[in-house]
Amino acid sequence: MPAYEFPGGIYPPERKIHSNQAPLQAAPLPTLVTLPLKQHAGNAATPCVAVGDDVKVGSLIAQRNGMISAHLHASISGTITHISNQAITIEADGRDSWQTLPPLDWRTDSPEKLLERLDSGGLAGLGGAGFPTYIKAQVAEHHPIDTLVVNAAECEPYITADDLILRSYPNDILEGAQLIARLCGAPRIIIGIEDNKPEAISALEHALSKIQHPATIVLKVIETRYPSGGERQLIKKVLDRDVPSGGLPADIGALCHNPGTLLAALHAVRDGKPLVERVVTLTGETISAPGNYWVRLGTPVGTLLDSVGLMPDQLHQVIVGGPMMGTPLTTLSSPVIKTTNCLIAASITELPPAPMESPCIRCGACERVCPAQLLPQQLHWYARAENDSTLAKLNLFDCIECGACSYVCPSFIPLVKDYRSAKQRIRLKQIETAKSEHAKHRFEFRQARLAREEAEKQARRQARLAQHQKPAGGGTGNHATPEVDLRSLRIAQAAAKAAVKKAEKVLARAAEQDPKQRFDDLETQLATAQENLKAADARLANARASTTQKETP
Amino acid sequence: MSMMHASQVGTAPSTAHLMRWVIAATLPGIGAMTFYFGLGVISNVLLAGLFALSAEALILTLRQRPVRPALGDSSALLTGVLLGVCLPPASPWWLIAVGAFAAIVVAKQLYGGLGHNPFNPAMVGYALLLVSFPTYMTLWSPPQPFIAETLFNETLWAQIIGTLPPAKLDALSGATPLDAFKHKGQAVLASEFWASQPLPEGTLSAWRNVALAWLAGGLVLIVKRIISWHIPVAMLGSMTLIAALFYAGDPSHFASPLFHLLTGATLFGAFFIATDPVSAATSKRAKLIYGAGIGILVIIIRTLGGYPDAVAFAVLLMNLCVPLLDIYTVPRPNGHSRAANKSMPEGPL
Repeated sequence: MPAYEFPGGIYPPERKIHSNQAPLQAAPLPTLVTLPLKQHAGNAATPCVAVGDDVKVGSLIAQRNGMISAHLHASISGTITHISNQAITIEADGRDSWQTLPPLDWRTDSPEKLLERLDSGGLAGLGGAGFPTYIKAQVAEHHPIDTLVVNAAECEPYITADDLILRSYPNDILEGAQLIARLCGAPRIIIGIEDNKPEAISALEHALSKIQHPATIVLKVIETRYPSGGERQLIKKVLDRDVPSGGLPADIGALCHNPGTLLAALHAVRDGKPLVERVVTLTGETISAPGNYWVRLGTPVGTLLDSVGLMPDQLHQVIVGGPMMGTPLTTLSSPVIKTTNCLIAASITELPPAPMESPCIRCGACERVCPAQLLPQQLHWYARAENDSTLAKLNLFDCIECGACSYVCPSFIPLVKDYRSAKQRIRLKQIETAKSEHAKHRFEFRQARLAREEAEKQARRQARLAQHQKPAGGGTGNHATPEVDLRSLRIAQAAAKAAVKKAEKVLARAAEQDPKQRFDDLETQLATAQENLKAADARLANARASTTQKETP
Repeated sequence: MSMMHASQVGTAPSTAHLMRWVIAATLPGIGAMTFYFGLGVISNVLLAGLFALSAEALILTLRQRPVRPALGDSSALLTGVLLGVCLPPASPWWLIAVGAFAAIVVAKQLYGGLGHNPFNPAMVGYALLLVSFPTYMTLWSPPQPFIAETLFNETLWAQIIGTLPPAKLDALSGATPLDAFKHKGQAVLASEFWASQPLPEGTLSAWRNVALAWLAGGLVLIVKRIISWHIPVAMLGSMTLIAALFYAGDPSHFASPLFHLLTGATLFGAFFIATDPVSAATSKRAKLIYGAGIGILVIIIRTLGGYPDAVAFAVLLMNLCVPLLDIYTVPRPNGHSRAANKSMPEGPL
């Protein structure tokens, strides 16, 4: 048992018993799904189908747009009926026919192939932020990773999705972990799990005793305390390492994945199944059959809840995610997406609205529970005063928005809401200042594109010339071609390659630090670097062609 | 937006709940004081509470703020109670009213109401009365278990008519232990002073028992996690230390640490006044410094200054330092290599 501790934390009533009794089962197939193009961090995917197209389960319907994005696949077989800027709608044909990718073997196939599969399978983290899984592996490329941390803590009240998949697929999750460990080169896997999941723990122990595992796998059972499932908190708990502020777990040699993602990764690799379904905890007092269900992405929340016995007259609100960090749904027609881990259909007595806010009396209860060791009450004052420089000094952006402070606040101040809007305001400000920068980068991109087109045109002309001159046995063309320095072109190409790599790295890093942001500017810079690389490639090819041409006669 | 709230599960108390707990925790102290100083203590507390609530209602009406929720949070009542126990038994009603007015209207509401006052309201009221009406504020009768009952009719009458006949003044006034010790004169040795029995029989033990009653209430607050231990421990610790230094230097002139701890407003102040969350420092380190500062000031003022007791002034002086303390004690968040105030963090800003 680890003796490490993260500061603060709370013990909210768990209410997991509602949903962890029934076995994992499949929700009924929906007759219609709405698949939002943005179910992940980064840019929305771009549709690659048309209205009227017939698709199978697993057919690619939208391609990722830019590096921080993920592919989207049909989750039912049927016909595309509607495509908007936000979502693609599919009507089911009831056959549920699948279109899978060729199976791979994570032990023997090359890492590139596996990474490509994670990309083409549309994998995104199933925990909360929905970070594209292949990017995480890419972030790991630049840092030696010594430990893959499996985040099985699941500390939010109500949610039992990870618990149930750990009980149902312990072997697959361990395999998925080893797959990811292989990709990031981690020699060690630590599974961090709260002690309120005895059945999952024994299932894992049993699976561990039976399988052979190349990477060392350690099961660490930690005390139940919210928010031990926060990435930073869990890493502190199982590894006693502090993730640097503004940094990533990769900076201290760790990578964090949740069990659902690992399972999905294995399914994508071993079975060739793109990410088209996930386990969702359906719970709350207004549901007669609470439990955990395999749900196709895009299933409307309303039909899903009806299928498990929703009592609409008692329903007060539906919350997506846990009660601590989740958000209330405004409409039941919203679909289940890749990051929907839990739906709580709560009655008004179950999760009543917050009492009226009263003034902060600086009692310090929030400070005692803050797992990031911030001063929530000071942040509260300065957030309301919109004093952004002081907010920066008080490290507003270190807040993980766990809600422990709001939970204990005797004045019922919606602290996290304040912080979120303050962060939003500061981001908007930054975006304003970044806009001019972005315009400059867009101009640079245009220049690079023109240069690339010019270089390619020249290369084509050179190729044509070469073809024309060959029969003539020419030699005159050589004089027209300026003397080229192959070496400097090669250097330029290498530099362009490095620039692309760097831009990718910067983007991946920025995106993982803050998955909720948009990264147009960085994507533009990456695109510019890519254009430059293409131009350099073309120039080099051009030069090579002319050199060989010169040498031919 | 977090959806789970304290109220529905009953783990975290509301502000009103906290205030009522503090009021409840004053009961042992009030009980002990009543035992030694008579029912005038209770009438003080009731009157002060009443005046405080009235002042709060009045000023909120003038400020056009909702009155009911503010009265309902019991913070004004608590201020009144705390002020009431500081006053000599059966103080004239206008004295209490002036104190309550200063506490609620000036110290609290003119600064923006609950949560915004930089100074402890009860101590502002008390300090104002102390400097403005020193005669009335030193009318502590010698503690006499229950015989104060006979005195009560007279004192209650005095409380109602708001003034005292000069003849009664002598009967009522008696030095508190701190007062007596303060005015023993520099020439007299402490041992001689005590040997001369400067106080009526039982005075010292009465004040000690009252102090212990406040300690009991304070411990309840700590156990119930209404207040944290940092401020009382730091304050009592630094008082003990500084008093011990004086005492070790010249035991014939300076009082022992135990004397300082068990007389005057020490324990009451440590648990009920210094810990007022609104006007105290916030982070743990800041609380330790804040508490220690109060303790040091109390001993210095009591020993070298012009007032026998100094808790009110020490608290108010340290209230002044709170904003600075809060700025310079920002804790180092996880993942930061140095304290945040020393270096601007890297990151989004």
